[in-house]
This record gives sequence, structure tokens and C-alpha cells, in this order.
Amino acid sequence: MRGILFAIAGGAFITLQSVANARISEGIGSWQAATITQLTGFVTAFIIFMFVRDGKWQDLKQVKPWYAAGGALAAVIIFGNIVAIQQIGVTMAVSGVLIAQLIITFLIDSTGAFGVVKQKMRLPQFIGIGMMIIGVIILGI
Amino acid sequence: MIGIILALLSGSLVGLQNIFNSKVNEHIGSWATTSLVLGTGFLASFMIGLLVEGTDLFTLHHTQPWYWFSGMIGVGVVISIVNGIKQLGPTYAISILLTSQLVFALLWDSLGWFGLEQVPFTSKQMFGVLMIVGGILVFKLSGGKVKKQEQAGRAEAV
Repeated sequence: MRGILFAIAGGAFITLQSVANARISEGIGSWQAATITQLTGFVTAFIIFMFVRDGKWQDLKQVKPWYAAGGALAAVIIFGNIVAIQQIGVTMAVSGVLIAQLIITFLIDSTGAFGVVKQKMRLPQFIGIGMMIIGVIILGI
Repeated sequence: MIGIILALLSGSLVGLQNIFNSKVNEHIGSWATTSLVLGTGFLASFMIGLLVEGTDLFTLHHTQPWYWFSGMIGVGVVISIVNGIKQLGPTYAISILLTSQLVFALLWDSLGWFGLEQVPFTSKQMFGVLMIVGGILVFKLSGGKVKKQEQAGRAEAV
């Protein structure tokens, strides 16, 4: 039950974050919004990390630099999210993000890219993506 | 049109980032991972912002106090997802997570909270969201044997 509450809260936080970023960008601009939210988020996480200390910088050497730099993608993610929400509304923007996210995840799973366990593309996944796209079209018309 | 293209681009990168983050998390703890992810995100935003806006990046005329706390939402995101996945496993947790995201989006759009332009809640919207949620469930929960094997493999590895 607690796990379900965490997952629901996670979804609420993600959407709240997108909306907050869109609001902030109206006040001061998109890149300013992305920079400020990442900076304050980093400072908060880093302060907590200083207390918890659940990793050493030495361990980071085992991580491929490519993966360690993944956080940088957030710059484009946040910017894209902000502009999308302003142009097509929260519901459509979130739907688009979810569909692309599921398709990319499934492409990675089905090709075994980045060393993940390979999975076969099955009929239910095609049906699922089809249903989601129809849903977005319904929202859009 | 630009809106939907950017939403799809963002979503693709979110999918990539989730994989990369979990790879980092295999070697260092959750808080170290979160710090690294938000730190590199800040550097990238700062540099691109500087390229695009020049010194205008530092002109913050209409700043409101809550802007400076908005980054903490990101910390809430990470803590919730990490704990949700830990307790429920990735497939189940992410299905709920995606559904919850969409339901809250619909809720806030139709209430017009946070100064958003109010989008009236109609049966059409209800139907569209139900369709998407159904699609998510079909997509995620019918992974079948392969997913179970993978989870068993993970449990053995632990």
C-alpha cells in the first residue's frame, strides 16, 4: 500500500513540476526557469547527500561517463516540456511525453540497447501504444 | 504542432534518462545519483541558457519567492519513484506513476489551478484519458513471462 502511495505521489510531483516550470518561465523565461529549478534541486539533494553519504566519488569512476552525463538531458527535457505545456495544455503535453517515453523504453527493451535485458516486441505492446495514440487524438480533436 | 513535437522529444529523452540514471544508481546510492543528475542538469541548462540568452540569463525581473523552492519538487519526484519501485517492482510502479501523472494533469487543467488557462472537463476528455490509461495498462502489465524472468534474474543477482 505504501508503495502505491509513493507511485501516486511520484506522478503528482512530476506533473506539479512541469506546471511549476511553465509558470516560472512565464515570469522570467524558459532557460532561466530550467537553470533555477535544477540549481535549487541540486542544492537540496546535495545537502541531504552530505548527511546520508550513500556514495563515494571514487565509485563514480566505475560508471560510464555517457551514463553519468545523462542528467544533462534534463535541459532539453525541461525546455521542451515548458513550451509544450504553454502551446497545447497540460493534459496533451503529459500524454505526448508518456507515449514517447513508453515507445523509447520499449525500443530499448526490445533491442537490448545500453546493456538492458532484451525483450520481444509483443502484440499487447502494439495494442497498448495504439490505444494511447487514439486517446491523444481524442483529447486533441 | 511544435508543442506536440517538443512533448514527444521530451518524453523520448525522459525514457533515455531513466535508463542512464538506473545505470548510475547501480554504482552509487540514490542521493548521490540525485545530486549528480540535478547537478549535470543545472550545468547543461546554464550553458545552453547562456548561449541562447547571453547575459539576459541573469536578468530575473519578476522573480517570486517560491521560484527558489521549486527545485525541491524534483527531490520529491526522485524519492517517491525510488521508493515506489523498491516496494512494487518497476513494471507495476511505473504503470501507476504514468497513470497518476495523467490524472493530475487532467485535474489541474480542468480546475485551472496554478494560473493555467482552464480547460473544461468534458466526457471527451474523460474518454481520451481512459483510453490512454487503458493503453498504459495493456502495454505495461502484459509483458508476460519475459518480465517475470527478468525480475527473478534481478532478485537472484541481489
